[in-house]
Amino acid sequence: MTLSLSARNVVKRYEGVIALSDGNLEVNSGEVVALIGANGSGKSTMSKVINGVVVLDGGQLLLDNKPVHFASPQAAKKEGISTVFQELSLIPQMSVADNIWLTREPLDRFGRVRRKEVMARTEALIALFEGTIKPDLKPETPVSELPPDEKQIVEILKAVSFDPRLLILDEATASLDSRQVQRLFELVKKWKEEGKAIVFVSHRMEEIFRIADRYSVLRNGKTVGAGNINEITEKDLIKLMIDKESVFSYTRSESEKAEKPVCLEVNDVHADTLKGVSFYVNEGELVGIGGLRGQGQRDLLLALFGDIPFSGSIQYRGKPVHFRHPNQAMKNGFALVPGDRNREGLLYIRSILENFQLPSWARYSFPLKLGKARKDAERAGADLNLKMAGLQQPVSSLSGGNAQKVVIGKWLLRQPSLLLLDDPTKGVDVGTKAEFYALLTRLCEEGKTILFYSSDDEELIGLCDRVMVLHDGKIYAELAGSTLTHENLVAASLGVTEGGAR
Amino acid sequence: MKRIKISPPVAALFLAIVLFLLSGLLPNSYGSDVKIAISQATNIVRLAVFLGVIAAGQTLVIISGFEGIDLSAGSVVTLTAIVTYVYVNGADEKVFVALLLSLAVGAVIGLLNGAGITFLKISPFVMTLGMSGVVTGIVIILNHGNVSGKVAPIMTRLIARPISPDIPIPGAIVIWVIFGILMWLLLERTSFGKYLFAIGVNRVTAKLSGVNVTGMNLATYALAGALAGFGGFLVVGNTGVVLISLGQPFLFPSIAAVAVGGTLLSGGKGSYWGSMAGAILLTLMTSLLTTMQMPESVRRMVLGATLLVLISIYGRQRALRQ
Amino acid sequence: MKRFTWNKLTSRYPALFALTLLVLSVLINVILQPNMFARDTLNSNMRVFLPMVILAAGQAIVILGGGIDISVGGIVSIINTILATRVGLEGSAETMWQYVAISLLIGILAGAINGFFVAYLRLQPIITTYATSFLFAGVALFILPNPGGGIPTSISEFYRSSIPLGLPLAFYVIAIILLVWGFLRSTRYGNFLFAVGGKAQAAYETAVPVTTIQFSTYVISGLMAAISGIAITMLSGSGNAESGSAMTLNSITAVVIGGTALSGGVGGVAGPMLGAITLGFIQNIISFAHIDTWWETFAKASIIVAALAIPGVINLFRRRRP
Repeated sequence: MTLSLSARNVVKRYEGVIALSDGNLEVNSGEVVALIGANGSGKSTMSKVINGVVVLDGGQLLLDNKPVHFASPQAAKKEGISTVFQELSLIPQMSVADNIWLTREPLDRFGRVRRKEVMARTEALIALFEGTIKPDLKPETPVSELPPDEKQIVEILKAVSFDPRLLILDEATASLDSRQVQRLFELVKKWKEEGKAIVFVSHRMEEIFRIADRYSVLRNGKTVGAGNINEITEKDLIKLMIDKESVFSYTRSESEKAEKPVCLEVNDVHADTLKGVSFYVNEGELVGIGGLRGQGQRDLLLALFGDIPFSGSIQYRGKPVHFRHPNQAMKNGFALVPGDRNREGLLYIRSILENFQLPSWARYSFPLKLGKARKDAERAGADLNLKMAGLQQPVSSLSGGNAQKVVIGKWLLRQPSLLLLDDPTKGVDVGTKAEFYALLTRLCEEGKTILFYSSDDEELIGLCDRVMVLHDGKIYAELAGSTLTHENLVAASLGVTEGGAR
Repeated sequence: MKRIKISPPVAALFLAIVLFLLSGLLPNSYGSDVKIAISQATNIVRLAVFLGVIAAGQTLVIISGFEGIDLSAGSVVTLTAIVTYVYVNGADEKVFVALLLSLAVGAVIGLLNGAGITFLKISPFVMTLGMSGVVTGIVIILNHGNVSGKVAPIMTRLIARPISPDIPIPGAIVIWVIFGILMWLLLERTSFGKYLFAIGVNRVTAKLSGVNVTGMNLATYALAGALAGFGGFLVVGNTGVVLISLGQPFLFPSIAAVAVGGTLLSGGKGSYWGSMAGAILLTLMTSLLTTMQMPESVRRMVLGATLLVLISIYGRQRALRQ
Repeated sequence: MKRFTWNKLTSRYPALFALTLLVLSVLINVILQPNMFARDTLNSNMRVFLPMVILAAGQAIVILGGGIDISVGGIVSIINTILATRVGLEGSAETMWQYVAISLLIGILAGAINGFFVAYLRLQPIITTYATSFLFAGVALFILPNPGGGIPTSISEFYRSSIPLGLPLAFYVIAIILLVWGFLRSTRYGNFLFAVGGKAQAAYETAVPVTTIQFSTYVISGLMAAISGIAITMLSGSGNAESGSAMTLNSITAVVIGGTALSGGVGGVAGPMLGAITLGFIQNIISFAHIDTWWETFAKASIIVAALAIPGVINLFRRRRP
């Protein structure tokens, strides 16, 4: 059962973006190695390299001291490497048992699946988490009927059913409550004793210190530190994660603390993953939203913009508003830069011009004054320092940063008064980031109000007057002024509250 | 397969020209007589007008994406042809109203299609196929006993004959050119057109940019129905008679014409010029098969195979491995 | 609370919905045709419904796998025309069975063609099988340009009156299909089928052979279409190149009312087969309700659209729940 896996100097590129430039990881039987890093550090890529989902572009992978190359995830599985993912690989319409044993069902001599055996084995697996799950989790329950935590448990059971030598838990505790996490850790200890090797990819500091034996920290695609967990403190780990030598350092000059009127008032809003948030924003403020991804930030912005239904009340400039469609929000001067620019912000195969003007065509009357539209778009592009070959080019020809400029530009053309941004600098190069910060600051000085979510803590600290950290769909902490420090932000995001109320 | 660099409408037109030139080698053809060649070519284009107009609505729904298609177009053509035929009954002054009626009837059917697709989430293929049966049922109801009616002389005059003795261009072609320009205006110079391409590419982005996706869907199918209605009006003006199967032969070719013209079957990209070129090419192919005395069955096989080849070239979906 | 349980029930046991509809339509049928349960009438009904039941079973499998097969009607037509021309009214029983075997192979071949384009070239199922439907219809027309030909009367007699062990032949065929499906469902193939139809990407990542499974569903559909073609030829005793054309939409409708979602991965084969029988009874109802002949087509088509609308309407009500 013994195993030793080494990843050395791993390099991985995705379409021009370098995810890993020097990734290293070592894990042996009987130990838990925590793979740590901030959003975008290359953590996820590293675990994908180890389990064969992606192919490395450089460096070496050694299994039991022999160089190895995984042609597919199945090849890695054959070597005994099993992964529990963040994004679920389950088939919603099928039952728990069918999902777990898919392609490995025990058969009788006619080729029929031995249902009794499948049920029994599945029940044995489910029993591992007994006491922490609702009795509705049965082998025959369709996965689509399960709540997120139980779906995650099924994912874990599926990975464990392979009886792997190396188990990778990639943010596997994200949807679990504290009792389930406790049970998982008890199981992990048992598996360690059985000689399994475990890689634990996580953000949650408290959990890392509870379960890991060793750690390995990634920052900007490089491994910057590794060692025994009991030889380092939380503070030092956080310091390793933080990019002290960032290429830029941007801080907003302290603006006059003049009393500005309340612009946006949000009261007890519930929607999808949003479990009741209340806050207010003043005119001309740059308010940040922080926290781990998926804690309700996206739903908050979509609800404000009228894209998803919600309950609760919202007041804009004193008037109650309840937008049922983005064009209603747009009429009130709202704008939303969505989180996934290719899937939500751009028309990938259409021209740059069309992307710029999509929200605004109605202004150019009939027949469309394309000349004027081009001029306006050119001006907007120039304001943003957009590097393009021409407005007629498809927007797919632009680099990430420039494409993001188009997404922002299409809203700026409309002179919005309230800007909502969902992680606008994700996947954007450093130089463009700096331009964005200058832009956002300038917009605020012009009197616009900005509310934006970022997974990059430095941005939040450098730009925002205030930051609200969301956790589990609620506002966990509000940081401003002297309390708005990197340590506090990271701690607030990582310091998971004990036991979410169910 | 590498993406083809020539724009598809141009490629289609080029192919049509080549095919036409080659057909000159056939017996019973124009041989080396240029005058006859031109007259034959003009006739082909004139025939293509009807397919072209019917393909217009098809172009719109296909551009709108989400597997958009309008299989009710053929039966709508038949229905509006009958409505026109009966209503006009030979009277010139009734023609304009008949035209409006055709557009209205088509629009209503299109709207029903759109409603089923948008609100009941029925896939466009299934919805329009089902609707086509209903419309055919209506045609039969209207047609029982014999329909009496007549096309007005002005229609034949405008559609079937040349516009003036000096200019030997059939009126139908002139109508088509004007129609083509209007379609171009619609697609490239109106907000509607821009929104149409947008929802064809990415409905999420469109909605998040303020486009009323539901409204666009309904409007597109309604418009497609109206255009099919216009097609029916023209067809009956050309043939002067009505049959229960008047519109059906246009249906499959209308889809093939759109595909030939380079409009992506997945939506979001395309043009009406392409469909026009496609209509000409397909009409030419059909006409050649007739000249070679090939039966209807061969025509169908050729059309089916052509569409298969086209989608194999243009329509590959993303592979599972990424 | 009650509605919630109903929803859960129907999603876990989709055939339940079909069963309810069937019971309803049988009840109405009995009112209009009181001797419905007499042995002869039942026999007669069953053998008329059989071709559609078989076709619905094949279509169900394709749809479960996440695809759709629009060309089934065309395959039925090809088989019918081959049998009618090759065997002929004067043919011998051996020739008949020879060509039955050949028909099955042709069905498999046609399915393989569809499967190649959809599974291996990864083209969109709807437009691909629409293209092949035209191609196949052309082939059928080529084989038999005008209705005619037929099969030996002895064989059609066999089909009509054969009652082994007192039950109509149709029951045995249906029973065999259900048994075979029951077996398939209990194997890994069954799980793979639902996985591919449910979420192909997740299935692929779990090493399910997605392409092979998809290909196989089209081959099965082709085979079932061939069997259906044999049945319909035995039923009518004659040949007609259009015999299958209306059956495609009916097969899709049968699947829809059978509780198998068109999106794939949910449902079964029993439901669609029940759905086909229900559709048959509904069409009986229309025939017996003494509607004007002229209105029949319209009525039948409207029923189909209504049936297709049912899942959408149910969903609308589901969404209204807070």
